Amino acid sequence: MSDMIELNEPVEDGHLVRDEIRRISKSVHARRVTTSRVMMVLCGVALLIAAVPLVMLIAELIKNGLPVLNKAFFTSEPQTPTLIAPNATGGVSNAIVGSLALTVYASVLAIPLGVLVGVFLSESSSKMASTLRVIAQTMAGAPSILMGLFAFSFIVHDLNIGFSALAGSFALAVLMMPVIIITTEIAVRNVPNSLREAGLALGARSHKVSLRIVLPSALSGIVTGVILAISRAVGETAPVLLVIGGGFINQWRPLDPVSSLPLSIFENAKSQWPSQRAQVWGVALVLVAFVFVMSLTARIWASRKQQVRN
Amino acid sequence: MEQEIMADIQSKTATTESINRGPIAMQLRDVAVSFHGRTAVRDCTFDIAKNRVTSLIGPSGSGKTTLLRALNRLHDLTPGAKVTGQILLDGVDIYRGNITVTELRTRVGMVFQRPNPFPTMSIYDNAVSGLRFNGVKKKSLLDEAAESSLRSAALWDSVSSRLKVSASNLSGGEQQRLCIARALALDPEVLLMDEPTSALDPVATLRIEELMTSLKSRVTVVIVTHNMQQAARISDDCAFLLMGEDRAGELIEFDTTEKIFNNPVDSRTLDYTLGRFG
Repeated sequence: MSDMIELNEPVEDGHLVRDEIRRISKSVHARRVTTSRVMMVLCGVALLIAAVPLVMLIAELIKNGLPVLNKAFFTSEPQTPTLIAPNATGGVSNAIVGSLALTVYASVLAIPLGVLVGVFLSESSSKMASTLRVIAQTMAGAPSILMGLFAFSFIVHDLNIGFSALAGSFALAVLMMPVIIITTEIAVRNVPNSLREAGLALGARSHKVSLRIVLPSALSGIVTGVILAISRAVGETAPVLLVIGGGFINQWRPLDPVSSLPLSIFENAKSQWPSQRAQVWGVALVLVAFVFVMSLTARIWASRKQQVRN
Repeated sequence: MEQEIMADIQSKTATTESINRGPIAMQLRDVAVSFHGRTAVRDCTFDIAKNRVTSLIGPSGSGKTTLLRALNRLHDLTPGAKVTGQILLDGVDIYRGNITVTELRTRVGMVFQRPNPFPTMSIYDNAVSGLRFNGVKKKSLLDEAAESSLRSAALWDSVSSRLKVSASNLSGGEQQRLCIARALALDPEVLLMDEPTSALDPVATLRIEELMTSLKSRVTVVIVTHNMQQAARISDDCAFLLMGEDRAGELIEFDTTEKIFNNPVDSRTLDYTLGRFG
């Protein structure tokens, strides 16, 4: 009670102080409004400058890419133009099939292993876990050509398998794994501890808690990470450049050479035939469209997770 | 020295009172919990009587929740946590006796402060999750347990038509009742409740309180509460804990709720229940 009386006492002075505070806050407010407007304009200008190259890139891609897209582009294998038929480039079905094969094999290799390691990292606080985490983080930042070199020396050379889809998907899997490991670990860590406790308090053993409660709750986060890893892998050129061998035929067998969309861009961009150089834009457009659809899917998954949380 | 005498008196009152209060569900003998060598709560000796509601009251930091979590070994996974003394369930030491932690937790259920239904599961799956975790697969058995536990938690009428809906669609009060149903599905002997209504509005709180009173006939309830009126309204027995000078919580007094609120032995109990501190 005595506290309240003290608070009520200095009423007279209080008004003077209050007027002073209002005067200062008014002038400060006016200055802040001006600063805020200037900053908003600066931000808008920066946004425009940043958006210009992106918009130009997409416009160029669509302008040059759309005209070369037709049924044959997707369904026929490539041909080498000749002096008699300089525009007979064929399609890029070999690259589409090759990219799909590479992505599927790489996913089969990387997803189960990456998710398991991610779960292990989040649930364990052992020395081994922290070492693994450092390795994953370092690998995530490593230049992607390194994976290509490794796949070349290990699969192509040491195991003597030769240029093959397997070597390419191995390189891509090594590239995808750190992304999957890191996103999985974060997703699993974000599962509220109260859910684990609820499971334990019902007499569940800890592996059942991980499998039946934690993993399902973290699933949307894990799937988001997996989709991002796939969309990164499908566009990578450097790791597959050295090891998949290329080739003009549609083929998906793991032990034989394949082509891929980025490799086809790399090869055709150097071509002496203008028709082949023009085709590159079509391939690039397909690739960008694929990556766009994948990241859109990832975003939808991520927002679905938000809804579940709310 | 004074504390020793106090503890001595308490253990004696505990045993003499227990005769009047009927059969005993759990016995605590000189229970203390410490984290990394720092004692969080100690000197807890009292009996939890069967089919009665026992409340643990006391200001923040007095170790109520810590003590409650020791009763179904939830401290087991906390690094550095150590529980000493004896906690007996039906005469069996739950830390050293012939009982696995899994069995203990199916016999001593727990409801947490914030409703925590499994968000990826439906209402039905939540209700039977404990049974499934423990290997029950028979559909008829699960169906029966789901209905009876949801009925006991006074939730059946409002959810029976949407059992397949995600549990996160329920209101806070309904979620908490689902958590109670989930614990009841295992038909536990003791139900531990850690401030189960502190995240709920007054109407939802009232429904949970009514529920606790109606559950008494089939399960022994131990509840931690900050709300003195709640303790007075719903509990039969009451343990008052207080933080000592070394910041460790200790049991000050244990008795029937009526005695604790009307005629306590310790003056600090009276001060607390009258709202003079805390």
